[in-house]
Amino acid sequence: MSDQEPVLKGVNAIKGGPRALRLYMDMCAKCGTCAEVCTVYYGKKDPKYNPAHRSDLIRSLYKRHNTLAGKIFGGLAGAKDFDQAEFEEWQDIFYSCTTCRRCAQFCPVGIDNSVITRKGRTILDGLGRTPARLQKVVKTALDTHNTDGASPDAFNAAIAFIEEEMREEHGVDIKIPVDVVGAEYFYLPPSGDALVNIEATMGVAKVFHVLGMGDKWTMSSKCFDGANYGLFTGNDAHMKATNKACVDEAKRLGVKVLLMGECGHAHRVMKRMMESSKWWGDLPFQVINCMEWTAEQIRAGKLQFDKSKNPESVTYHDPCNFAKSCNIIEAPRVILRAACTKVREMTPHGAENWCCGGGGGLAAMNEILEFRMTVSGVKKHEQIKATGAEYVATACANCKRQLAQLMEHHKEDIAVGGVHDMLSRAILVDGKAANRKCYE
Amino acid sequence: MGNSAFLVGGVLPYLAAVVFVVGVVYRLLTWRRVPQPASMTLYPTQGASWGALVKEALFFPSLFRGDKTLWIFAWSFHVALALAFIGHLRVATGVIDRGLAAVGLGAAGMAMLSAVAGGFAGVVLIATVLLLLGRRMLVARVREISKTPDFLALLLLVAVITTGDLMRFGASHVDLAATRAWAASLLTLSPAVSLPPTFLLHLFFAQLLVLYIAFSKLMHFGGFFFTFSLIKGSQP
Ligand code: HEM
Ligand code: SF4
Ligand code: SF4
Repeated sequence: MSDQEPVLKGVNAIKGGPRALRLYMDMCAKCGTCAEVCTVYYGKKDPKYNPAHRSDLIRSLYKRHNTLAGKIFGGLAGAKDFDQAEFEEWQDIFYSCTTCRRCAQFCPVGIDNSVITRKGRTILDGLGRTPARLQKVVKTALDTHNTDGASPDAFNAAIAFIEEEMREEHGVDIKIPVDVVGAEYFYLPPSGDALVNIEATMGVAKVFHVLGMGDKWTMSSKCFDGANYGLFTGNDAHMKATNKACVDEAKRLGVKVLLMGECGHAHRVMKRMMESSKWWGDLPFQVINCMEWTAEQIRAGKLQFDKSKNPESVTYHDPCNFAKSCNIIEAPRVILRAACTKVREMTPHGAENWCCGGGGGLAAMNEILEFRMTVSGVKKHEQIKATGAEYVATACANCKRQLAQLMEHHKEDIAVGGVHDMLSRAILVDGKAANRKCYE
Repeated sequence: MGNSAFLVGGVLPYLAAVVFVVGVVYRLLTWRRVPQPASMTLYPTQGASWGALVKEALFFPSLFRGDKTLWIFAWSFHVALALAFIGHLRVATGVIDRGLAAVGLGAAGMAMLSAVAGGFAGVVLIATVLLLLGRRMLVARVREISKTPDFLALLLLVAVITTGDLMRFGASHVDLAATRAWAASLLTLSPAVSLPPTFLLHLFFAQLLVLYIAFSKLMHFGGFFFTFSLIKGSQP
């Protein structure tokens, strides 16, 4: 069966926008700079990983049917007819771009290949060709409002467990308010930070406690996952539905601040897409990230630390969505420098940092583990190793998964964790740092 | 006046001019018209002020950070292209000469400036275009994404520049009085084409290139401003 018709329908729609895509169809200089700076192509110099090649899958079809030159001159103008055999490779190729946007930072004519990648994924999704694992995550999220498929009871149990842990660590009660209507802050982490890697949530809870604001914030037992896989699968309807559930919950709780957790794409969708494009009109609350918020408290001198609790050398991996799309670069460093003895930087770091190799939803895909370890993760492994760090902190559930697997694959004795995790281990509560257990 | 000479010097110029202007304006307007619902700021950015855009256009800083070798080739190429473009205005009109004379440049000085700046541009252009072409054929990551139009653009440039350089460095230096008379005749819509064959050949290729621009990636000279305002645009 040929998928020609729906594919061309999707491609031809570019004629009507968005403007960025339309421009990208018209003017790639084919200069190869994107390949030079691409995380994936760095790992393996295979033509199918060349960003301009990937983008040309769509561009050549677009030209064939939507440009005068392509209609008349065909191949001479860089146009191509639909080819089912080539289309069969689309899933593989469009899911071997991490949508990190690094290419766009160096392209001489300003092309962001991740936008074309997402378009390719949108077309695939329309044909039910999104990788099975991601389809499942999206469905779980739409059904249960979290990507782990956890029930409110499971969430409440996890929160009770976290509170108990904190009591053991500090000998005092540090509360995590749940479902409190009228709270000021609504903390929305990636679900993993509440259910599995609990230290990040402990860190946030301790910050509120130390500030004497233990009763001013809340989490929600119905909405505790900011993750939004519709961004990755290119399905705008799913992305908006997932997002709307979170926004509605924030409105229901009547909060003034939606405090996003350590999850890059969740923050980007909420701040740079939903808020700035006004998906749901004007909002009764502000969107800020928990790292910005905590960093502000540290700068104001309101939090104290015992750095000796974090003696290992630490490096910070900038999640692409935070650094490249949201400009949250300094805040995590403020936290780490306050809480850790030794903080080292990768080269380069900040906005031009290299992707972990698991961006764009790839980290969740077990079926491409080999690719993530031996192709897209190669540069990151080299970068981390070069710092000599013993702990890589990062602020994104997907980066963490990819990095932890990467360290294991390469048999590195390097721990991977969050930013508030390090804060949680060193922050002084009633003058004392945690008497800490090991959670790994 | 032969038929083909008249076609190249008396018909094609009008066609090329109309196609270029209509084509370029059409594409700029469609880009402007097509909606962009989402902002897509990419950091680091100082915002998409005109100053930032002009700086990007003049010095290619993004490319500089990404690929130094290509930056040298591409930047020198574009600078030489700009020089050559300005120099070509002298072929068609005496305005620049009169301007230069007004600031005190004599005929000898003018010939000297033309020889130095024009000669420089002529050499740099052919050198950089050949380097770009060589790179396209030899560097794997560029070769594997190059298709017919990518070579076509460069080959057209080679043709335009070689024929141009032949006139500058070859035996038959072009007679500016004759070309200016021809240009003036075009403006009065009564083309009188009495031009040497090398000039006609150069003109032919140059016009093919001009015709090609609106239909090709060479439109990057205009699209560039749109794409960069999109990714450099600041957000609240
Ligand atoms: C405004 C900023 C500009 C940037 C950043 C830019 C960038 C580039 C780059 C990277 C190439 C690729 C060379 C290659 O790999 O083959 C190129 C080629 C070229 N550019 Fe530009 N350009 C700009 C403006 C212009 C302008 C104003 C013109 C004049 C019409 C122009 C005409 C050309 C031509 C004729 C080529 C060679 C054709 C080719 O390589 O296919 N460019 N440009
Ligand atoms: S860097 Fe930009 S212009 Fe060059 S090949 Fe990549 S997308 Fe095309
Ligand atoms: S977005 Fe990242 S992974 Fe995708 S082509 Fe660009 S640099 Fe490569």
